[in-house]
Amino acid sequence: MKKIDVTLISGRTTQQGVGLEEGKTSEAYTKSVDYIELNSSDAEKLGLKEEYLVKVSNENGSVVLKWKKTDGLDSGIAFIPYGPWANQLFGYETESTGMPWFKGIPALIEGESKENMLTLQEIVESLRSGK
Amino acid sequence: MQIVTDIVCPFCGCLCDDLEATIENNHISKIKNACAISRSKFLNHSKNRLNSPTIDGEKVSLEKALDAAADILSTSRRPLIYGLSSTECEAIGKAVEISELTGGVIDNTSSVCHGPTILALQQVGESKTTLGEVKNRSDLIIFWGSNPTQAHLRHLLRYSGISKGLYTSEGRKKRFIIAVDIRETATAKMADQFIKIKPNKDFELLQALSAAVRGYEVPDVAGVSKDEIMELANRMKNAKFGIVFFGLGLTQSRGRHMNIDAAVMLVAELNHHTKFLLTPMRGHYNVAGANTVTTWQTGYPYAVDFSRGYPRYNPGEYTSIDLLAKGEVDAALIIASDPVSTFPANVVRELAKIPVITLDHKISPTTMLSKVALPVATAGIEGEGTAYRMDGVPLRLSKLLEPEEGVKTDAELLDMIIERIGGKR
Repeated sequence: MKKIDVTLISGRTTQQGVGLEEGKTSEAYTKSVDYIELNSSDAEKLGLKEEYLVKVSNENGSVVLKWKKTDGLDSGIAFIPYGPWANQLFGYETESTGMPWFKGIPALIEGESKENMLTLQEIVESLRSGK
Repeated sequence: MQIVTDIVCPFCGCLCDDLEATIENNHISKIKNACAISRSKFLNHSKNRLNSPTIDGEKVSLEKALDAAADILSTSRRPLIYGLSSTECEAIGKAVEISELTGGVIDNTSSVCHGPTILALQQVGESKTTLGEVKNRSDLIIFWGSNPTQAHLRHLLRYSGISKGLYTSEGRKKRFIIAVDIRETATAKMADQFIKIKPNKDFELLQALSAAVRGYEVPDVAGVSKDEIMELANRMKNAKFGIVFFGLGLTQSRGRHMNIDAAVMLVAELNHHTKFLLTPMRGHYNVAGANTVTTWQTGYPYAVDFSRGYPRYNPGEYTSIDLLAKGEVDAALIIASDPVSTFPANVVRELAKIPVITLDHKISPTTMLSKVALPVATAGIEGEGTAYRMDGVPLRLSKLLEPEEGVKTDAELLDMIIERIGGKR
């Protein structure tokens, strides 16, 4: 399977804001936060087709996501909107500031992932059981 | 049908105060002047509501849920009281009272947004202004690690880039807008200049700019050429009224508070030449109020521990992420926030081990994980109160609709919990 190393950032988007105001349990919310944005050359390196899922992992965890192409990102940088999916990849180290490292962390992207995406309910259940 | 004007929007730190709602049969049928997110908030506020108090997901009476909440808090050795950025100031005051009563820790969402900003400002001070002054006077606006076109949708229109004010009647034409970011955001696309910087290199670029403003030659830094740095330094020095609006691109990347420290020092340096200011782009609509109320009641803006009976402040120790990661709290009261969606997953797994009480208007991953969930009236739609804008200006939120029968505000519910805890001690 093809893999690339990226610097990962997370952040707010308008659609994420619109979705969360409809409700965290709404489809609009899930759709607004369950994907990763990649530069087109990175998507090519991974051999991605539109319908493929990608697996993103690092020392904190891993998550399966949809992906979207964007020209706003340089090759080697990937973006995920804030949310329960992105949060699988962040750690608790705050270097005594209280703030975890939500932007600029290393991650590995693999495509095409054979694993399924988790639903919001499944994420909540996995967190509840400590998995 | 009733039309209400001058409504303050309870979504982001812009607190736009010019909204107009059409109300029919206790329902908002139209909203004018709202951005896409605000429109979603007003028009969808009745969707996906938490429709009953619950214990372990089972519907119970309000009395029973409040008793359970008070039981958890009064038997806890050190509860965490967290959230507070999306409710009004009176509720925040009540939350401080509960922290003191229970010997707990009170923290708000600035912990994971502009906490590092507060740390830096406490060290090196702040050159601040109101958004009205920016609108009336600014000719150079720099968005650094912030993206208002996605996160603060009407900021450019009402307060910054496009706004027309007393001495800025030509609006966008006479303003120069710069975006500094690691990616070409929509804000970068509409700016006059986009300065692309390498990830985690903001501190270095800010320091290089300070040196350039002082007149030193600088090399290429952070992927930005020396010519571009010198040009930017000159542009900043020659502005009549410049401002940096910085966002989480600075607080959540490597360096955290040191990045803000460097930004403040750059602005201080620029004030030897001209008028220059900086303002954090606060996210949730009353996160600035959470800092303000907590400060006037305890002396500190967030991360305040009452375990010795008096307030102590130590971000990095009494901040929610650190407390949960180290297993140092044994219960949590979450008000108007959804940490299960906003904290790193391995921190949420720790939160899931302790009893959680959540006050929210909608179903969220946090209410799903909670031992006790209490529905509330939506502040700014079903309940009034005060909120603080990103520049520290307090504005009054409106009550437009009656909440469902029996649904109380955050402040009312917290008061009922306080009464019960008082009775148990």
